[in-house]
Amino acid sequence: CHTSGMLTPNGKEYAQKIPREELTHLILRLLQAWKEPLSNFNHHIEHHQELPDDSLSKAKQISNMVHELKTGVEKVTEKMQSMGIISNSLNGMASSEGTGLSISNEANMMSDSDFIHCFRRDSNKVQSYLKILKCRIMPENSC
Amino acid sequence: MKQKLISSVQIILQLALTTVGLTGQSYPGKPKIVRCRSLEKETFSCWWKPGSDGGLHTNYSLFYSKDSEEKIYECPDYQASGPNSCYFDKNHTNPWTTYIITVMATNEIGSNSSDPQYVDITSIVQPNAPVNLSLETKTSASITYLWAKWSPPPLADVSSNSHVYHYELRLKPEEKEEWETISVGVQTHYKVTRLQAGMKYVVQVRCMLDLGEWSEWSSERHIQIPNGESPPEKPTIIKCRSPEKETFTCWWKPGSDGGYPTNHTLLYSKEGEEKVYECPDYKTAGPNSCYFDKKHTSFWTIYNITVRATNEMGSNVSDPHYVDVTYIVQPDPPVNITLELKKSVNRKPYLVLTWSPPPLADVRSGWLTLEYELRLKPEEGEEWETIFVGQQTQCKMFSLNPGKRYIVQIHCKPDHHGSWSEWSPEMYIQIPTDFRVKDMVVWIIVGVLSSLICLIMSWTMILKGYRMMAFILPPVPGPKIKGIDTHLLETGKSEELLSALGCHGFPPTSDCEELLIEYLEVEDSEDQQLMPTPSKSTKMIPKETDSDSGRGSCDSPSLLPEKCRESHACPSALQTQDVRAVQENKGGKRSWETQCIASEQKILFFNNETTKSSTWPAAQLPNNQLPIFAYHSTVEAHTIILSTTNVNISSVLVGNEEKHQSQYPITGTVHDNIEKQREMEKFKSDQITVQVRQNRQNDKSPLLNPKLMDYVEVHKVKQDEEPTVLLKHKENNIKTEKCSVPGTSKEYTKVSTVMDHNILVLMPDSRIQHTSVSQEPAMETSQNVQKSQAEKNMSYCLTVPSDCKRETSGSEYMDPSSFMSSFK
Repeated sequence: CHTSGMLTPNGKEYAQKIPREELTHLILRLLQAWKEPLSNFNHHIEHHQELPDDSLSKAKQISNMVHELKTGVEKVTEKMQSMGIISNSLNGMASSEGTGLSISNEANMMSDSDFIHCFRRDSNKVQSYLKILKCRIMPENSC
Repeated sequence: MKQKLISSVQIILQLALTTVGLTGQSYPGKPKIVRCRSLEKETFSCWWKPGSDGGLHTNYSLFYSKDSEEKIYECPDYQASGPNSCYFDKNHTNPWTTYIITVMATNEIGSNSSDPQYVDITSIVQPNAPVNLSLETKTSASITYLWAKWSPPPLADVSSNSHVYHYELRLKPEEKEEWETISVGVQTHYKVTRLQAGMKYVVQVRCMLDLGEWSEWSSERHIQIPNGESPPEKPTIIKCRSPEKETFTCWWKPGSDGGYPTNHTLLYSKEGEEKVYECPDYKTAGPNSCYFDKKHTSFWTIYNITVRATNEMGSNVSDPHYVDVTYIVQPDPPVNITLELKKSVNRKPYLVLTWSPPPLADVRSGWLTLEYELRLKPEEGEEWETIFVGQQTQCKMFSLNPGKRYIVQIHCKPDHHGSWSEWSPEMYIQIPTDFRVKDMVVWIIVGVLSSLICLIMSWTMILKGYRMMAFILPPVPGPKIKGIDTHLLETGKSEELLSALGCHGFPPTSDCEELLIEYLEVEDSEDQQLMPTPSKSTKMIPKETDSDSGRGSCDSPSLLPEKCRESHACPSALQTQDVRAVQENKGGKRSWETQCIASEQKILFFNNETTKSSTWPAAQLPNNQLPIFAYHSTVEAHTIILSTTNVNISSVLVGNEEKHQSQYPITGTVHDNIEKQREMEKFKSDQITVQVRQNRQNDKSPLLNPKLMDYVEVHKVKQDEEPTVLLKHKENNIKTEKCSVPGTSKEYTKVSTVMDHNILVLMPDSRIQHTSVSQEPAMETSQNVQKSQAEKNMSYCLTVPSDCKRETSGSEYMDPSSFMSSFK
């Protein structure tokens, strides 16, 4: 997977240990890393005649969701930073943009099944991190 | 000679035989019973082999007898066991009798029967062979065993599975010829020990019931005995599971070891790395397993896991198994399931089920999110109802039936990829029956009330059954001809019949042909009491005991109008109840049924059990005795309703069944009448509109309104509008009486004629003392009236239900007959 290069905690303890800012940032990076490849993928499969229409619409839907999720996380991050829950230290999203480009280049070279596999895994990662983050920041909320 | 004869006979015989043989048709050959067999000593079958069929279609039938009985039976079932067979089912099989069986072959020419076969069930028992023979080799401690397992032969009748079979096993190496037979006993498995390694064996098994024969040998099974000196077989990895998304375990299944002790090792490598690790922990999760603890568990990485089996001869590696731990999470079932019964707002109980996530799962940090699902069913039920609950750890259940027991179970699953846990242990719920005291009380009250009602009704029925019946189902009046006695008819004496008709002086004239009114002769012993004021008039009444002296209704003085007069004196409120009682009374009495018997005075007794319903104008007076009515049944049916005491109007309805089967009066008329009566009461000075209903055949009979029998005087007639006769209220009458203004008005009229069947033409007349009219003169006057029909000053359309309302001049009453006659 093109995101394999990212250093992500691969266990609960690690995810709980790293500071919240890092975790947030990580989530955002992941989401960012998938923005381009998803749209490329959508373009790519549009030309696949044999795929049912459901798949195409589903893929579009997924990329929209990822985009919205990223926007949401960004907003939440801003809010958290303004509330002082997390520090403002890592605001350098711009730097991640650069890495994002190279990553997405890699993504183009993956086969479709690998692509889907990688996406599935990374979405699971994002989900888990978000949940942990949520419980770390607001422990009373059904945690 | 003799020889010639003999030879010729022989020749003839031979010829016959040859001809028979040539044509190819002869009686069938003798069948032969091949064998009889029982599978389980409860049923048996016999098969036979047909002989030659003699060229024609042959029918076979099997006959048997038991032991020494004489009776011969035929085969119960030719089909079940196939062609040329006979199947004896359980009902026809008796293990302790000897059957003597013969088969008869019949064709067109003749028949032939087989030799009898003596069959003793116990000796022909032979079961089927055992089935499902399975073989397995096991090696332990360098000794290889052969495990053989099989099932008893299947029976069509599964219920009778109490048979105990003895088994026998035989095996031999494939190439050899000799079998080694082992007696197994009653078990369905056996362990063979003395085996040559490396050889291929053939195994068979057979069975026997406690008596009878051995079954056939089952089909062969082959097995290879592992050679002690071979590398082990490939193990297989069964599954890997993580219970809480932090650790995981893998299990494998070893293959057969080649006769030597085998070691298994698990090796794995992670995605993206080359390094191969060995399982960190073989023990924790049991034999043939590997436990990866937290340190060795990485998520979002694929593990490549293999198992290697090694023995002295070599090793063998299983196929690789790829595992990503995130996707193999299967939690433990939820714990701490508690039930709580709560009552909702409207007192309905509902159940609150709460549970906790399994202890290992870390839900608090959000690492693992579980979703729950529960299922429940009534204890006796078949199907589970599954409810997906989501991530909450409680559930409210409303739709449970009180008094029933339910079983409930819960399981959970990670919200993302993963699999469902096992179901939690069964939890039993008993819903308490919500027996509210209030409900019980209500039911008790309902029960008591209904029983009371039933009692009352039955009591009423018993006491007044007859009357009730008549009330509910009024008796259908039979046809009655006035003056004719059915007895006479029966006896067939026409003379008497005619005399009955004639002697009565039954006016055969047109006068009475269409008598519409049946007048009622009322006799009351207490004459005096009847009419206080117009006593004179009332006196008429008693004198009126006009027995049915043949005058017929036309002439009978005892007319209702008179009776009405009686009631004249008693203005009292009409009580509908009374009237109803009257009807009731009548119904009960069936007084309608009375017939006009020649020369008899018909006395109708309206007996009321209750004084209240003494329907009698006379009865208006308190303490009145019951009035006695005499009535002639007239041609038409008239119904006179007797009003009860305290009724201003006592209307008497006399049913006339003479010519038709009119129904009784009709409450409608009564009510009609009643209303009118009421009106009359109310508007004392008012004019009363009276409606005379003409009684026609099959019509409702005019109601002789007793009250109006009071001689309600015709007060006025509105001719122009609705032609109605306005009859003065009797009270007014009284007053007017007292006023005694002669010629005041034509307040009394007599019926002059009747027109159009519903118009009563009354003759206005000078006022006449209405109090002192005697019957006789009344009669005369009435007759006069009759004669002077032409004269009509006023014509009214009377639709009065009561004849009483008709006033005749000079007479205190209206003679219904007078106008009756003119009813055409």
